[in-house]
Parts: sequence; C-alpha cells; structure tokens
Amino acid sequence: MRIEDNQKKKKKITVSGVLLYALLIALALVYLLPLVWMLSVSLKSNREVLTSPFTPPSVLQLGNYIFAWINGQLGVATLNSVIVCTTALVISLLIGAMAAFAIARMRLGFLKYMMQYFLIGMMIPVHCVLIPLFVRFSNWHLTNQLIGLIIPYITFSLPMTIFLMTGFFKSMPGEIFEAACIDGCSIYGCFIRIALPLSRVGMFVAGIMTFVGNWNELLLAMVFISDVAKKTLPVTLTYFVGPYATNYVQMFAAIIIAIAPTIIVYSIFSNQIVDGLTTGAVKG
Amino acid sequence: MNRLLEDRKAAFIFIAPAFLLFTLILFVPIIQVIYYSLCNYTGLTKPDFVGLKNYIDLFTSDETMKIALKNSIFFMLFSGVTQQIVGLFLAVLLTNIKAGRNLFKNIYYLPCVLSSAALGLLWAFLFNPKIGINNLLSTFGIQGPNWLFNTKGFIPLPMWVIGCVALWQYVGQNMMLYMAQISGISRDIYEASYIDGASKGQSFRFITLPLIKPMLITTLSLNCIGSLKFFDLIYNMTQGGPNHRTDVLATHLYTQGFKYYKYGYASAISMVLLILCLFATFLINKCIKVETYES
Repeated sequence: MRIEDNQKKKKKITVSGVLLYALLIALALVYLLPLVWMLSVSLKSNREVLTSPFTPPSVLQLGNYIFAWINGQLGVATLNSVIVCTTALVISLLIGAMAAFAIARMRLGFLKYMMQYFLIGMMIPVHCVLIPLFVRFSNWHLTNQLIGLIIPYITFSLPMTIFLMTGFFKSMPGEIFEAACIDGCSIYGCFIRIALPLSRVGMFVAGIMTFVGNWNELLLAMVFISDVAKKTLPVTLTYFVGPYATNYVQMFAAIIIAIAPTIIVYSIFSNQIVDGLTTGAVKG
Repeated sequence: MNRLLEDRKAAFIFIAPAFLLFTLILFVPIIQVIYYSLCNYTGLTKPDFVGLKNYIDLFTSDETMKIALKNSIFFMLFSGVTQQIVGLFLAVLLTNIKAGRNLFKNIYYLPCVLSSAALGLLWAFLFNPKIGINNLLSTFGIQGPNWLFNTKGFIPLPMWVIGCVALWQYVGQNMMLYMAQISGISRDIYEASYIDGASKGQSFRFITLPLIKPMLITTLSLNCIGSLKFFDLIYNMTQGGPNHRTDVLATHLYTQGFKYYKYGYASAISMVLLILCLFATFLINKCIKVETYES
C-alpha cells in the first residue's frame, strides 16, 4: 500500500515536473539568450549585423575588440574603475566592519540608534545629495579626481556593509569573546583577532556587493568626472550611444569587455554570494 | 567582560569613522539640498533666497515635471506589483524543485549584478525599430511596433518596455530574498497541514503567505525605492526622449542640474524625489501589519 502510494506520488511529480522544468528552462533562456546574442553580435561585421542579426557570425571579427579597446579608451577606463572600486572596497569594509562590530557586540544604549541612523542611508537615493556634494567637491577641487569618487562610494556602500556584517557578528557565540577576555585580550584584540577572521564569509559577500555596486555606478561618475583620462567604465560605455551610434559591433564589444569581469567573478562565486547575502538579510 | 563591552571610548573609536563619513557626505548635504531648493542658484553666483518659487514653478509651469512625476509613480507601482508577483512566483517554483535549484537561482539572479548601463544599451538595440526584435518579427510577417519611440497614450509604450526590462533585470533580488524566507519555514508545519487534508494551494495561502509577510516589507521597500532611483536604464535606452515622454524624476534632475546648471531648481526636484521615497517607505511600514508567530 505504502509502496504503491509512493509510486503514485512519484509519477504525479514527473508529469507536473516536466511542465515545471520546461517553464524554468524557457525563463533561463530569456535570461541567457540576450547575453549570448550580444556576444555573437560583437564578433560580426557591421554589415552582417544589419542583414542577418540572429545568425551566428560567419567570420569571427576579433578586430572589434581591439578597436573598442583602443578607440573607446577602455584600457584607461578599466584601470580607473579598478582603482576606484578596490580602494572603496577595502576602506568601506574596514570602516563598516568596525561600526558593525560595535553595534552587534557592545552593550551601550546609543548604538541601537546608530544602526537606525545607518539604515536611513539605505532609503536615501544618491540623486538627492548629488548637487550639494558636487558643489562642495568642486570647491575642494575634488571633482575630476578619482578620490572624489572614492569618498562617496565608500559612504554609499556603508549601510549595506554594516547591515550584512552586523548580522554576521550577531550570529557568533558570545563565549569566544568571553574566553578571549579572560585570557587578557582587549576589545580591539577581540575585533582584530577574533571577529574579523571568523566573519570571512560575511566580509566576502559584503565586499562583492560593494565592488559590483560601485563597478556599475553611473550617475555619480558621470557628474563628478569630466576629464576623459579619469572616466570609469560605465561612463565610457555611454559614449558609444552618441558619436558611435551606428557602430554597433564595437559598442557590443565594449559592453562585453565591461561586463565580462563581473560575469566571471559571479559564475565562480555565485553560490557563496547568493547564500551569504540571504543569511545576512534574514538574520538582520 | 561587561566592563570591556561597555567601554565608551572603544565604541566611539569603532563607530566614529563611519559616523563622520555618513554625516558629512549624506546628512549635511541633505540639509543643504533643502536650503538650495529654496534659492535661485546657478553655480556661478551665490545662492539667492527666493522662497518657494522653485516649487511653484515645478508644479505649475513645468510640463516635463508632470510627465516625469507621472512616469516615476507609474514606474514605482509597476515595479512594485510585477516584481512582487513574479519574484514570489519564481521563489515558490524554485523551492518546490530539487534538481538544478541553485543553477536556475544563479541564472535568474545574474542580471542583478551586471551594469544596467550596459544592459540598457543591449536592450535599446534589441528594441530598435528596424534591427533587433522587429527584424525577427518581420520574418514571420508581423510589423512590430515602434517600441522605444511611440508617444501615444497616457503611459507611452516605451515606459512599459523599460518597465519590463527592469523587471527582467531586478526580479532576481525578490526571488532570492523570498526563497531564503520560504526555506526558513519548518517542514513540519506543511506536513501537519497535509495530514489535516490541506491541498498545496491551501497550504500556500494559509502557511507560506502569512509567514513570508515580514519579507514583504523589505522587498517592497527595496522595489519602490529602487524604481524611484531609476536612472541608468532610461538614460541609456531613451535618454528621456522622444520629446521628454520617458523622462523620470532622476533624468529630469540630471538634465536641469547638469545640462542647464539650474542647481536650485534641480534641488527642488531632488526634494520631491526624497519625499516620495520617504513617503513610500512610511506607507509600506504602516500599511503592512506583521503578526509574529511562534516558530
């Protein structure tokens, strides 16, 4: 009886299961095909794109990438993006983890309000502070400098970092810190020697989110930087809309160059990223 | 131990860098924006106090502002509704399958980490009147619409198109958060309901839905604020055109502030944006009552 029941159940699952998987695969194609198509277009010649946009390229035009890299000045842009994002990443992780440690672990009344203060930052769009920030930064001669982008990027990454890291620090058992204290460890030692090494997963996730967010940021970079040699990648891409508008293949080659690092990092670490993000979000 | 954890000086040292940066770069500028929005300020001269003139101009004589406000609110409602429904739907589908769950989850989440500036260019090309999708349709003998240049209707076609692209890009976030919440629900509750004769639909309605309600507040706030902030996709797909029909608050602010250098006026637009964001968050938190269940 029981075996029959199980078999019945199994059969039922496979029937609806086929439909379910068909739907999921169709959706996955909606996600992947545009990206694959973009890759195929970036390897065609301009004429081929106009005559037969949906067939695979007949001859691989690798020259598109070289042209986009040189004419679109993607090399400089990539370097700038790397400098800005890495610096912002390191500093915001350090500052964010420090604040999160105090909020999660220390017992002082005002720290609760601190958390709310930082969370308000998540609700405020960058656009709202764009003008005063621009005015102030031009007075301080920080516009057209990479440091002028790094400072706001650090600030706008902080709420997310603090939110995620607080979740991770809270989930650590208090006994570890007690034991360290008994052995004569200071509060700074607790942070540097215990909390930081134990929260590597959290740091990793917060770090990736910060990096990706800043890597893709367009508005601030567009407003703050007008010097061509200081532009970041997303800004450089927008130039392909204007003067290069008919040169589709180079535009797509440039886009591929710009998003390839993100796709590669994501496909290597996607499980950790997605899981780590939700751990922090649910606990916090 | 307690003495150590109540060490005020250490707490200040830990908090101070983040607090200072946050106050200087975020909260002081917000106070400034309030002041600038009440001034005639072009960047060359000192801010000149004119009272509510910017706001009056904004709401009485600026046609683009009306379109931008309408589009932004449309966008917020559209994203809120579609991303909630599709995100929850995907989350339920994915928590019900065994094989390949992580693979599908990772694929659906992928566009969230990609640059919307780049994806905007890709979709602008796909919705091009002659090439892209219309080319594919014409091989079946269908004359495709002018996806991004149609100006007819209260909400023109390009806005719907951009809304769908935004849904495509960001629905993964809702899906992921809902999946986390659903997999946190104990299997025992479902087993108990099946023993009592509940169908799958009933257990979804009476167990899953009430238990994921706390996540509804988080995701809905993220959706609403995210869609109000929307800039990259629109800037790269239509640049607010044709004839400002697809302008939203963010693009209008950018044009007024950094093309025409009307800082005071643009500050007034940012105040409208800020108030909309805070109002949406407030409304979501007030209207959705979360009952806590014993787990």
